[in-house]
Amino acid sequence: MKHWLRRQRYLADFTLAALARRRVKNTGLIVIYSIIVFVLASAMMFSAALRHEAGTVLAKSPELIVQQLVMGRHEMIPGSEIEKLAGIRGVAAVKGRLWGYFYDSVNGANYTFMVPDDDSYDLQPGEAILGEGIGKARDFTWDTAPLFVTSLAGKMVKFTVRETFADDSALLTADLVLISEADFRSFFDLPPDVYTDIGVSIRNEREIGTIVQKAQLVMPNARFVTRSDIERTYQRLFDWREGLMTALAAAGVLAFAIFAAEKASGLSAEEAREIGILKAIGWDTGDVIAMKLWEGGLISFGAFLAGTVFAYIHVFSFQAGLFEPILKGWAVIYPDFALAPYIDGLQLATLFAITVIPYTAATLVPIWRAATADPDQVMR
Amino acid sequence: MISLKNVSKLYNEGRPNEVCAAQDIDLELARNKVTVLTGPSGSGKTTLLSMIGCLTRPTTGRVFVDGAMVSGLPEKFQTELRRTKFGFVFQRFNLIRGVSVIENVMLPAAPLGPEYHELRERAQSRLERLGLGAKADMPIEFLSGGETQRAAIARALINDAPVLIADEPTANLDTVLTERFLEIVGELQSEGKTVVMTSHDPRIWQSSHVNTVVRMQDGRIIGVDA
Amino acid sequence: MSLRSAIASARPTTPAFIAIAVFSVGLGLAGLHAKLSEPAENLRLAANADLVERIGLTDLALFTEARYTRHPSMADLHTAFQDHPASFEHFPSGIFVPPPTGLASGTLSTSIEDLSQ
Repeated sequence: MKHWLRRQRYLADFTLAALARRRVKNTGLIVIYSIIVFVLASAMMFSAALRHEAGTVLAKSPELIVQQLVMGRHEMIPGSEIEKLAGIRGVAAVKGRLWGYFYDSVNGANYTFMVPDDDSYDLQPGEAILGEGIGKARDFTWDTAPLFVTSLAGKMVKFTVRETFADDSALLTADLVLISEADFRSFFDLPPDVYTDIGVSIRNEREIGTIVQKAQLVMPNARFVTRSDIERTYQRLFDWREGLMTALAAAGVLAFAIFAAEKASGLSAEEAREIGILKAIGWDTGDVIAMKLWEGGLISFGAFLAGTVFAYIHVFSFQAGLFEPILKGWAVIYPDFALAPYIDGLQLATLFAITVIPYTAATLVPIWRAATADPDQVMR
Repeated sequence: MISLKNVSKLYNEGRPNEVCAAQDIDLELARNKVTVLTGPSGSGKTTLLSMIGCLTRPTTGRVFVDGAMVSGLPEKFQTELRRTKFGFVFQRFNLIRGVSVIENVMLPAAPLGPEYHELRERAQSRLERLGLGAKADMPIEFLSGGETQRAAIARALINDAPVLIADEPTANLDTVLTERFLEIVGELQSEGKTVVMTSHDPRIWQSSHVNTVVRMQDGRIIGVDA
Repeated sequence: MSLRSAIASARPTTPAFIAIAVFSVGLGLAGLHAKLSEPAENLRLAANADLVERIGLTDLALFTEARYTRHPSMADLHTAFQDHPASFEHFPSGIFVPPPTGLASGTLSTSIEDLSQ
């Protein structure tokens, strides 16, 4: 065992000494390799963390939401529908919800105005609770600065800010403006008995399917969104995005693959000759292959480790800052959120398998012939 | 010590460019002697040397080392034999460029897995003996022709192999360095080593350090001068 | 042996193995960090879940530029042209939001019983 270890270290020594001959090229290779792992690992970790976040948090979203559709578009729903839904057996509570969008022409941001479901917020007319993104978009210079907005009717409305949501919940609340129902109706000029949609809470979650079926008969024009629909939307959204990021990275991966294949598989005449020399002076085929395994292994494992560690730091300490421009797009408000640090073992193993193994294998394939050839070629 | 019985070697067997490099060779190499294989180029000296050093197998015939038949051994054992019995000095020296002198010298011992400092000291002592002690950490290509050859000899000696095999060792050396080489060969012989080399250099086969000259032509032995 | 000659005669694997060891420890620390921050994060997530319940939120405020990106789970699916999931995108984040899986795969659930009602 001791001999085996020492032998392996000699082989690794030799392979590194040989790599050091093209220091710039090989350093460049490791750096590019690490960057690719970094991008892939960042996308993986970021998506996994977002999926985890969405999955945990949105598990408490309303069990069932009923939207009115008119000619296929989401319309305000009349309060009279609440009665119909409340009559269905198994329904615990039904509540009209009010929320909508407001385009702030001052800074081009979109806010989400909302009346909280829970009465415990007890918002008085003229009061608002703001998400952290709004103060930033409006350049609020002090904590309790009031919010002035111009309603559709052209009226300037002033809200005193009772509270601002903490950064901790930015991913949920960044663009929220919570106001009272009376303010909401007057701001958007809504008639008294209409709602954006209706939230239905249900006693037994297993009955949702049945209740939706019954509700469909009562309200044939409505669209029903269940909690599991919401969850599914988000799982899919992040899978999709992760796939897209991977696809974006794929171009880089391909370019790297060409570079790596050239580097790893193209066995130069000089290298072939060196292998002949090593064999002639007493290395066997296994030694030569092990030496090449060390080359592929050290480069790819080193790049994997470096890429993964930096990706972790990037995603969880710097809030995936490099992805922000892509995700932010045209939005003015982008939540300043920190994700729960999370490493998925299986994901890491996948990343390892798609980065380390192919490269190591690629270094081995061309070596095989040279390693098994008769060593007397060096005499000729 | 090494004997070849009715040995022939064909290259590119069965193809149009088939070459018979050695034919029906019977040869006995005595222990602790210096033997030179000589002949015009293409006479089969190098092929014969390759078969003696287990670098290649004869197409027909048998090779014995210390009484054991080695020509039929699987590759693994041939490598083992190469490592323990033979030290090689090649015509173009075949040192690995870009790697330091001492690392080159240590290479044949690497698969045996010796303790690092022990091996390094051993390599250093070989280099010192050949007057290269101060250049151990230089890249190999910084050495002059004579120094490179001595580094190659140091490499051949690292495993204390009893047989030194050298292919045209003086082809690239001037008279002074050739003399120096022959002195080293004499020293090695006095330490009990067996030396086999090819050469078409009269300075070699006329030297007093050489015990046997095997003359070859067209893949056959045409005379042995003891 | 001076430091300089020690560096000159160091084995090439020494710095390489040190680098691998450093990054392995780094990865280990990352795992440890994730583990250690779990209780606090779980508290934060629980608080946020509570917030979701109290306000009645349905979506993450990650993309605020358009309603189908701000509330992907609430966006209407049937509007022709403007908000059609397969329409041309105006917003970069739109490419991150997938078209609904059920698109164009629906069936008419009309049976004899339905018609007789």
